Amino acid sequence: MTDGQEKAIVVSDLRRVYHTSKGILRKTRQAVEAVKGISFDVEFGELFGLVGPNGAGKTTTIKMLTTLLTPTSGTAKVLGFDIVEDVVEIRRRIGIIFGGERGLYYRVSGRENLRYFADLYGVPMSKREKRIAELLDMVGLSDRADSKVEEYSRGMKQRLHIAKGLINDPQLVFMDEPTIGLDPQAARDTRAMIKQLVEKSKTILLTTHYMFEADELCRRIGVISNGEIVALDTPAGLKRFVKDITVIEVEAFGIVDTDILNLRRRPEVKSVSANLEGERQTMRIQTPKGSEFIPEVTKLLSAAKIFDIRTKEPTLEDAYLRLVS
Amino acid sequence: MALTLADWAPYRIFWSSAKFAFKALFSWLRPPMWLTQLLVLPLFQMAFFVYLSRFVNPSGAAVAFIAVGNALQVASFSSIFAVCNLTSEEKWQGTLTSLIVTPANRFPLFLGRAMFQILNSMATVIVGLFYAANVFGVDMSHADFFALAVVILITSAAMTGFGLMLGSVGLFLRTAMIIANIFLFIGLLICGVNFPVTDLPIWLQPFSYAIPMTYGTMAARAAVQGSSIFELGPVILEELGAGAGSILVGYMLFLGFEALARRRGAFEEF
Amino acid sequence: MTKLQTISGSFRMSLLHFFADPQWIIPNIIAPFVFTIVALVLFGNVSTSVALYAVLGGGMMGMWGNTLYGSGFALAFDRWNGTIEYVLATPSRLVWIIAGRSASNAVLGLVNALAIVLVVVIGYGTLFVVANPVLFILALIVTLASLSALGVIFCSAFLLSRSAQVMTNGLEMPIYVATGSMFPIALLPLWSHPISLSLGPTWGIDAMRYASDAAYSGLGFGYWTDLLVVAASTAIYMAIGFWLFVVVEKKVRRDATLTEY
Repeated sequence: MTDGQEKAIVVSDLRRVYHTSKGILRKTRQAVEAVKGISFDVEFGELFGLVGPNGAGKTTTIKMLTTLLTPTSGTAKVLGFDIVEDVVEIRRRIGIIFGGERGLYYRVSGRENLRYFADLYGVPMSKREKRIAELLDMVGLSDRADSKVEEYSRGMKQRLHIAKGLINDPQLVFMDEPTIGLDPQAARDTRAMIKQLVEKSKTILLTTHYMFEADELCRRIGVISNGEIVALDTPAGLKRFVKDITVIEVEAFGIVDTDILNLRRRPEVKSVSANLEGERQTMRIQTPKGSEFIPEVTKLLSAAKIFDIRTKEPTLEDAYLRLVS
Repeated sequence: MALTLADWAPYRIFWSSAKFAFKALFSWLRPPMWLTQLLVLPLFQMAFFVYLSRFVNPSGAAVAFIAVGNALQVASFSSIFAVCNLTSEEKWQGTLTSLIVTPANRFPLFLGRAMFQILNSMATVIVGLFYAANVFGVDMSHADFFALAVVILITSAAMTGFGLMLGSVGLFLRTAMIIANIFLFIGLLICGVNFPVTDLPIWLQPFSYAIPMTYGTMAARAAVQGSSIFELGPVILEELGAGAGSILVGYMLFLGFEALARRRGAFEEF
Repeated sequence: MTKLQTISGSFRMSLLHFFADPQWIIPNIIAPFVFTIVALVLFGNVSTSVALYAVLGGGMMGMWGNTLYGSGFALAFDRWNGTIEYVLATPSRLVWIIAGRSASNAVLGLVNALAIVLVVVIGYGTLFVVANPVLFILALIVTLASLSALGVIFCSAFLLSRSAQVMTNGLEMPIYVATGSMFPIALLPLWSHPISLSLGPTWGIDAMRYASDAAYSGLGFGYWTDLLVVAASTAIYMAIGFWLFVVVEKKVRRDATLTEY
């Protein structure tokens, strides 16, 4: 092992620029800076979360750390190995679990999928079948292992993803939105499995945009927005960003975009987030004024029908919204 | 009697359908690929059979027969392969649903997509004949070029109609690609391209006569040897018949598919 | 040891996919099949030696057709499937993964030969016998290796250049002509002979003919020279393919073009 082995991941000023070209005859090239020079580190045995809105740079960061992309500048060491120079060493020791439907061979069985990746990871033939059986057991797919993956439910596919990501018994596992698109039960099962992995001393870097998930699982969270890390702390630490705030939660019908704009213009309002779809619209208003501000809110939303309005303690979600907006 | 906008509608639909097909063709089939299809494929397909025939028959007696036959058959690349795939391409890209819910008159919509392929086919055949004359030494000194031009046009159009029919079949089965591939080459065997249809087993011959290409190869050879358009009349009419028949069947299948998909609510089954 | 595991794992996965959807081989071998049947009709009198010629030639073309399309699109398949990032993230080099798939495609191309055998036996009632089965099998295996190595080159070309896909369509027919699968290359123009002779499969089919027909003279160098040339060609193709894949891997990581297709 080379230096930097005290930490599982050390990222230093990592940058990634994408070049896109438009047009067929007259090509115009554009440079998009997806990751703008981020630095952070992850301890051994830690479950580290990287959260941020879509397009913030989480996936790009993970792809660089898993050697799928070379950075434009900056350095990073994964398990002591450089992400540009020591690609094969890193790949041997890490597992990757990206969420979503794709990434499995549908026309063959779950077991065959695992066998294939076991071979590609060079799992010794003498250990291969045993490990596959253990993993299938761990994720609860033993009885469906020999059915074609196309017959699996969404949750089953995700479980197979997890088994696949652990096929080489990695020290460090990267998970990109592992619970996305799963029903609540399946998501809960996945989170339980993630916790089990930490108990087995595995290091995990997880990206998610579900704040409650990050709050529940992660020891520390890095908030990434627009290609930069805007905060890095434990969940409790991050909540301090909003310790001076109370959240007014509104449930109503008839709120329109101008209402949100009007609220945002008020100096007492730190941030507003709203879900205006459906019959039960919800709105979260962050304000230091607390319940004193409720009459103002009622006045501003006079054109809407308010079902419920109450104050709440700020959550990690609120801290996150504050940080990324 | 003035023409109203409504009168022009079918032509507009036809034309925009054609333009869409042109764009769609080039979105995945870039110019280099199109040029390969136009210039390289005909040459080597022809070369294969010409050299094969020289191996079997060193006197070279059959070379002209084979070269001209293959020159016509290469029209299949555009008229069958591209057209058949156009239908499945749309399906695959999910645009078929949006297309079908338009109030557009179906027939020009159906035909318009194929228009560019007719031109493409003609170009391929002309290139093929050029090779036949200049690379494989086919004697064109007695050819009736007007008759030949008509044969090229009719064959391209008729085979494109055949391609549309295959495309419609492909909508029902989910394997337009496989059908396209099979029919792309089957002509080599049953359309009198490399040997007369009469050399085939009797039970196979009716299939040959259902495909416009069979008449096209006969007519093209005759035109190269000097037959005039009047002498070729009957064959050309038979070819037009086969082509029209294909278009009709194809259109019926297309409408049938639309009705079936509406009932089942399953457009994107792929 | 791990290279072998990668190749065999890849080979196996590729075969499994074939058995899951065998009809997808049709587009790759339809041209060879039809070409061979036409050849049989043109030959007219299908004696045992003609039958052998047709089966060998048809088999070669089938192996070529399937290698070309199967290997060329080998990674494209992973792109469509969404598995490409996972495959790339393994410590196995891409070149060995593709070598395994390419080998499976070459072997599956023999399906064409089987189809021709059926046609010849059922349609023409002709049987044929191979003079020296051991030498024949040896030549076949070596030729399959050569084709697999060529497949590796195509796959990398596909990844490096989108318009290299033009190559698949552009190479199918020329190779049927250039390798002398159905007629001696002596018939071809003199200037094209170097091209023909630079292709491993040309020598491979010559070797197979030597092994099947005691009276065959072909290229005139004899069975063992043929075999040596095929083996050498395999080594050269693999070296080129290896180098190309190093370039591919660097490019793919730099340009993030993996998921595009």
